[in-house]
Amino acid sequence: MNIQILGTGCQKCKALERRVREAVAELGIAAEIDKVSDIEAIAAMGVMMTPALMIDGTVKSVGRVLTKDQVAQYLKGGK
Amino acid sequence: MSDCKCGNQKTVIITACSGAANTGLLADRVARTLRADGLGAMTCLAALGAGLSGYVESARGADRNIVLDGCPVGCGAKIYAKLGLPYEERLMTDFGVEKGKTDITEALVADITSRVAATLAIDKA
Repeated sequence: MNIQILGTGCQKCKALERRVREAVAELGIAAEIDKVSDIEAIAAMGVMMTPALMIDGTVKSVGRVLTKDQVAQYLKGGK
Repeated sequence: MSDCKCGNQKTVIITACSGAANTGLLADRVARTLRADGLGAMTCLAALGAGLSGYVESARGADRNIVLDGCPVGCGAKIYAKLGLPYEERLMTDFGVEKGKTDITEALVADITSRVAATLAIDKA
């Protein structure tokens, strides 16, 4: 699984990254976690607000700091 | 362009049907002018229609989605409805523009932009 956290490095972006790492660890998922901070690259994905979460090429959430449980739902394939 | 949501600013996304008729052209021009005036960020309705996830989730996360449709066919609104996204529609034909008849002049674009903006009650960014 490839997980991308889209954000320029603000506190909310860091919080989302922390929760993603916690959820991945709790679920025991093998995942590659990347951070995308280039604003042009983020905009090219159609993402207009950050932080955003992308899993395996699909943007799941934009402009929200998800809870660890919400992240886990996405990791488990939920919408 | 992407905005960090660290602050408390409202995110307003503007889309236009940009259809083939004169009314679609007007919707497009009005959307671009509203963006230039700082009333919101314009995004691609075609990308939403195609279901591209970044665009769809951006619309879902926005505080307001303003959809400018040229005529009552309402293609833009239908795309939002199909995706289950909240939206506020403005029809160019509700502003006295006749589909297939009215010339889209610079003066008309400015006038309709002003009148549409007045209905939105958005503070400039």
